Amino acid sequence: MSFDTQTKLAIYRHFAETGQRPSLEVVAENVGSAVSSVREAYLRLRAQRVLVLERDGASIRMAPPFSGVPTQHVVIVDGTKYFANCAWDSFGIPAALQRRGQVHSRCEQSGEPLNLEIGLDGPPPSSWLFHCLVPAARWWDDIVFT
Amino acid sequence: MLFFRSEERVREWCAAHDYPVRPLVTMDQLWTLATTWYSTRLQEDSRRPQPDEMRSIFAGLGLGGDFWHPQSNSFG
Repeated sequence: MSFDTQTKLAIYRHFAETGQRPSLEVVAENVGSAVSSVREAYLRLRAQRVLVLERDGASIRMAPPFSGVPTQHVVIVDGTKYFANCAWDSFGIPAALQRRGQVHSRCEQSGEPLNLEIGLDGPPPSSWLFHCLVPAARWWDDIVFT
Repeated sequence: MLFFRSEERVREWCAAHDYPVRPLVTMDQLWTLATTWYSTRLQEDSRRPQPDEMRSIFAGLGLGGDFWHPQSNSFG
């Protein structure tokens, strides 16, 4: 397994197990490497669009579908609380974990709460809708806004 | 990428912010997108769909046109 893949898996498994982003030091310890090497791997993973970093180049803002910071999209799986980057990613967390979960969010216009039980086969019949403002070709121009 | 209770709420939100209304996606469609993108994310050999794969995935859900085209030049 390549070093970048080891690093990616260490990050994602930390998110999966804790709901929280790992520090650079924790990832370095988990892959048995120097912090400087892991920081370089972060940049390559960013280029592959599997990681979004804060401006310090060390703190993880996104490891899609997981968010490293609190958001309005909360997902509960097996008692662990996760934050998703967006509505799409809120479904992505139970999909990635391959577990049942609860998605809690809101209607962006009215503020009405959304509470959906996600089974292994997806959500129950629902008339809620998903709206993506940014065209697919522009998503990564500003992925935080997207 | 946001949730809305109805199409009317989408239209109100877009009008309030002077945004265009984009194609709407149902919860079933969103689940398919989520599983397609993320169901292998914790595995060693996972990878993001490539642009041609993305087009195929979107088209399979009835999400066509320039808006869903990952390499479209129609949006500046």
